[in-house]
Amino acid sequence: MSVLPDSIAMDVVEHTNNRMVLSMGPQHPSTHGVLQVITEIEGEVITKAEPEIGYLHTGIEKSAENLFWTQASTVIERMDYLSPLSNAMAYILAVEQLLGVSAEIPERAQQVRVLLCELSRIASHCVWLGTGGIDLGAISTFFYSFDLRERILDLNEFAGGARMHPNYLRIGGLNGDLPTGFLDKLDIVIDMYEPRMREMRNLLQKNPIFQDRTIDVGILTAEESLAWGITGPTLRAAGVAYDVRKAFPYSGYENYEFDVPTRTEGDAYARFLVRLDEMDEAMRIIRQIRKNLVGGPVTVADTKFSTPPKETIALSMEALIHHFKIVSESFRVPPGDVYQPVEGPRGELGYYLVSNGDNRPWRVRTRPASLYNLQVLKKIAVGELIADMVVMIGSLDPVFGEVDR
Amino acid sequence: MEIIPGQQFLLGKVDDVARWAQASSVWPLTMGLACCAIEMMTATAPEYDIARLGSEVFRASPRQADLMIVSGRVARKMAPIIKRLYDQMADPKWVISMGACASSGGVFDNYAIVQGVDTIIPVDVYVPGCPPTPDGLLYAVNLIQQQIRQGGRGGILARA
Amino acid sequence: MPSSQAPPIGATALDPTALRPPIDDAAIERITPADLLARLSALKASGYTMLLDVGAVDYLERIPRYDVVYHLLNIAADAATVGAVGKPRRVRLLVGVPHDALEVPSAVDLWPNANWPEREVFDLFGIRFSGHPDLRRIQMPDDWEGHPLRKDYPLRGPATEMTPRPAFALKSNVAAGTPASGKTAAALQRQIAAARAGGIAPAAHEAVAAAQSGTTSSSATTAGIASAKELAERPINLKTDSNEKS
Repeated sequence: MSVLPDSIAMDVVEHTNNRMVLSMGPQHPSTHGVLQVITEIEGEVITKAEPEIGYLHTGIEKSAENLFWTQASTVIERMDYLSPLSNAMAYILAVEQLLGVSAEIPERAQQVRVLLCELSRIASHCVWLGTGGIDLGAISTFFYSFDLRERILDLNEFAGGARMHPNYLRIGGLNGDLPTGFLDKLDIVIDMYEPRMREMRNLLQKNPIFQDRTIDVGILTAEESLAWGITGPTLRAAGVAYDVRKAFPYSGYENYEFDVPTRTEGDAYARFLVRLDEMDEAMRIIRQIRKNLVGGPVTVADTKFSTPPKETIALSMEALIHHFKIVSESFRVPPGDVYQPVEGPRGELGYYLVSNGDNRPWRVRTRPASLYNLQVLKKIAVGELIADMVVMIGSLDPVFGEVDR
Repeated sequence: MEIIPGQQFLLGKVDDVARWAQASSVWPLTMGLACCAIEMMTATAPEYDIARLGSEVFRASPRQADLMIVSGRVARKMAPIIKRLYDQMADPKWVISMGACASSGGVFDNYAIVQGVDTIIPVDVYVPGCPPTPDGLLYAVNLIQQQIRQGGRGGILARA
Repeated sequence: MPSSQAPPIGATALDPTALRPPIDDAAIERITPADLLARLSALKASGYTMLLDVGAVDYLERIPRYDVVYHLLNIAADAATVGAVGKPRRVRLLVGVPHDALEVPSAVDLWPNANWPEREVFDLFGIRFSGHPDLRRIQMPDDWEGHPLRKDYPLRGPATEMTPRPAFALKSNVAAGTPASGKTAAALQRQIAAARAGGIAPAAHEAVAAAQSGTTSSSATTAGIASAKELAERPINLKTDSNEKS
């Protein structure tokens, strides 16, 4: 006898024979955010799992329709809040495509964008690793990974002004060049990464308890992953080597040497290994950028849509006027629609932007990687133990800012 | 509290001792909603370490928590749940509204976000920021501790 | 911040999808709801194994008013290396849905992951998907009325607001009786006492002198500041004396 919920808040836990309907969340220490999973369990085995989302629905897409093109990136950054820079990157690349200036972004700006996005990827995976460990009781990993994340957030703050949502990537390039001293701080992070990563792997990778809890849990085959629209590390752990950075390179990714780690087992342990390897590959890209960082401007020369350097505003009337215009009423983007994907830490994060020629976006539709990654929970949870629910949610790595927007 | 000179005991009021105990062990509820929740988690991490202020554990059950840190934007769908959790917490309880979204709706002045969690539950300390740095949250916990020590809403004789 | 209720300035294009610049991001096809399932099946059979996204756009004055947008990607399940994946092809299907026929067949049987995004399009735009197993709201509460992402739905929500916007809730600790810290509380108490006694904030010395000498301070009035006399007569109430959110 199966019970479909007809109201969101389950007031009663129902008992019938050996079956129980249990509402996990939306306030729960291990659901990685505001997720409610209404599970039917028979003893300890899950027979049905229905995730309920929407508890963080923020109306970001509608807010963005009422903000200027330059302002919309501030609210868009708050979608996938674990790696805000990938949201901003995808949106800004899409706007630049509509403006027709994708080819004119200076190389230094492209390199710094990739640098910060890869740092953001490592920071996001640090949160995943820490919270994934802490869900299973492995608390030490949390402390180690969050310390690494602190150093990366320090870099964010140094370059962009804020730890989590710096709004440093702008349409046309960056908001000002990297401050002096940034590269030294980056070197410190690069040096600390390898020993720290070794410590974190030592904590969990061969830990028999961790392996017991994650191996053969939440298995997804390659066909199922494609049918459910899974992208990112979850798809790669199932055996399909699809990475947007390789398939549809953007912002100079074709110039860097990096691998795309894949596995075939498709279980939670495979996803764990893939994400750890991805952190290593991200650091590889960061090292290459550090070695080959070029000089030059960081914004497009055309100041009709990218603010002129602050130093010129006091000297040139035109620069002053352009700056004023951009800040007070932004610029017009030619009409059209575009879909721009990037490889976020959770998979293919894409933006479908529609412009009607105005100074505000007409529609900002997100292709939220986490929504599809989370939806498959309905399928993989059936037949697993209730104790595995936490492992599965952690291995899918959803971020509810992106799922609910 | 006084130390009686020459003797081996302290003299004090029950109220003072109780307040000192409450202030030194404020246990928050895990009420992480959005980006601010990540900064709240960072406040438990080694660099900021909220445990040294007494918040050694974050309790998942509202019955066992003293402090609700509303960290993140409160969506309309989540509002009744926050109210229910607040009601389920036992007295005395305190609320920190962490971040701009919890304090006033933040950047999101739209149909989906409750414009300030203080429209549904009473708040003791507001922390500005988007998100506030973990230092800000630690200062807010300090302010809660001061409020507890000085009595008022948080004293042992307080009603809800 | 631009007003949310004002119409966009200089809005021109009724159908941006017809005027788009030559960006090579996908092969774009425009079809009707009647042909949708046939086209999706044909694409799926020809190798488009992934339905990436189902979204919708409201063009307000265009006929048909809405577009439901399907993004498809062709990747083989046995593409185990980057080389095998190669450069996949993308397809974007734009399905025009008129406002008086808000119905589109559901793609759930072809790709199970269409379940949630179709629910979201129903929730936020009101477009129904026939054949969907569980078409109910997903982002908004179940009893919500209206479809928020439509262009004629106000940004701040309906006029019958459920939670009104209060004046800035000034939770002064002094007023509540629990001082934040001894020193600031005492200083604030002194300031309030002085204000109650003198009727004005202690800083406006010149205005006080001018009022007491019977002449209104011209600088104060020209600057638009309320005269000292008005301030003296207005009672001080910490709870309402605050910035109203307009």
